[in-house]
Amino acid sequence: MINIISPIKIKLCITVICLFAMLHASAQTVKVAAAANLQTVIIALQKDFKMRTGIDIEPVSGSSGKLVAQISNGAPYDVFLSADMDFPEKLYKDGSATDKPEVYALGSLIICSNKQLAFNNWQQLLQSKSVKKIAIANPAIAPYGKAAEEALTKAGILHKIKSKAVYGESISQVNTYITTGVVEVGFTTQSLVKETQPLYWKAIDTKMYAPIQQGIVLLTHAKDNIQAQKFYQYILSPVAKRIFKQYGYKTL
Amino acid sequence: MNIAHIFLIDLSPIWLTLKLAGITTFILLLVGLPAAWWLSKGRSFFKIIIEAVITMPLVLPPSVLGFYLLLAFSPQNGFGKWLQNTFDVQLVFSFEGLVLASVIYSMPFMIGPVKSALQQLPVSLSQASYTLGKSKWQTFVKVLLPNIKPSLLTATVLTFAHTLGEFGVVLMIGGNIPNTTRVASIAVYDAVEQMDYASAGNYSLILLCITFVMVSSVFIYNRYQAKSPLE
Repeated sequence: MINIISPIKIKLCITVICLFAMLHASAQTVKVAAAANLQTVIIALQKDFKMRTGIDIEPVSGSSGKLVAQISNGAPYDVFLSADMDFPEKLYKDGSATDKPEVYALGSLIICSNKQLAFNNWQQLLQSKSVKKIAIANPAIAPYGKAAEEALTKAGILHKIKSKAVYGESISQVNTYITTGVVEVGFTTQSLVKETQPLYWKAIDTKMYAPIQQGIVLLTHAKDNIQAQKFYQYILSPVAKRIFKQYGYKTL
Repeated sequence: MNIAHIFLIDLSPIWLTLKLAGITTFILLLVGLPAAWWLSKGRSFFKIIIEAVITMPLVLPPSVLGFYLLLAFSPQNGFGKWLQNTFDVQLVFSFEGLVLASVIYSMPFMIGPVKSALQQLPVSLSQASYTLGKSKWQTFVKVLLPNIKPSLLTATVLTFAHTLGEFGVVLMIGGNIPNTTRVASIAVYDAVEQMDYASAGNYSLILLCITFVMVSSVFIYNRYQAKSPLE
């Protein structure tokens, strides 16, 4: 007779699978909410941290604003690496974070394109006819977008180029727009150019925008999670700072 | 939240959405009805493939469609480059681009119901019309279409409503530009991210009301036509 899989066998299989799934879910992991500008560096940090401690982290990336909205509404993250200080400060005030935010890195704003353009005079470049669209992260939720708008205001050209601006929901969407060439130029983080080639870029003078102080907080969800606390301390350690520097961040 | 409060918010995303849905529905009436008629006659292999392609946006994740459109519209690649060089038109981050995307995205909602309704009409109906000396086009407009009014209404309303609900594609190719590509669904998403729950609530409530009124009126109208409302 042909061996037919009986319903009992199927039920048993499902039960076993469910048990494994439950076991897996209860294993303690470190869920890290990371601002979109960290997308590349967080992978390097993840590897280095795993190598040093054997602990796995699960990074989730998004605009800082979106992540904060998720955390305020009970998302189970343990550590939050923001792109600014205001969002983590807000979490601390609301009681979602255990301590005041600490600065872990300073972000560098760049102007970037997948074509070689006259970046040295970017103020003029943006107003020229060859540039039709300029990608900026949504200034209301993405600190790099806010910095870009500050730089444009300081250069006195924000109102002139406003009609060319397209807004990414986070810095990673701006990166998509730049690398696919749907915009001629965009304002993004220097960490983009570390691993994505070939891109042409120039750092924006740091006098043009307020320093992008990026803050970290340990979230109340992690209060019994020793591994999360270890990761938090790791990010503020000299080892992690060295990695941040390799990706174009400045450290204090 | 009171009614007066709703009118204090920036209503431009709502108007933009209604405009987009209106134009999309109009284009799909022009393009979709003849296409549905053509598809309803005969089942050649070629027609089946075309129908499959038209129906795909129904099941394809909007992000897939958005991704392909982003590449297609990019002024650095084939189609987008050609548009840019020939007509100086850039579809990505433009209202026209959203219209084209919506036409593709909502096409199955127009063609599907109309096609199946046409297939259910007895062949004798058009044959009688031809015998009486009417042309193909006259038969279609004056005989066939009036006979499938409930399905026509359903298709039109669903197309409009589906375009109102468009989100993923716009998120990928829109660029969130006020008055150009910042439609209501994007405005809701944006407001939630900014933790501006009051605006998000207002936009959502308006969309909820519009959709409810539209869909329920179709159902009420079709009830008297003794037909299933989704046909």
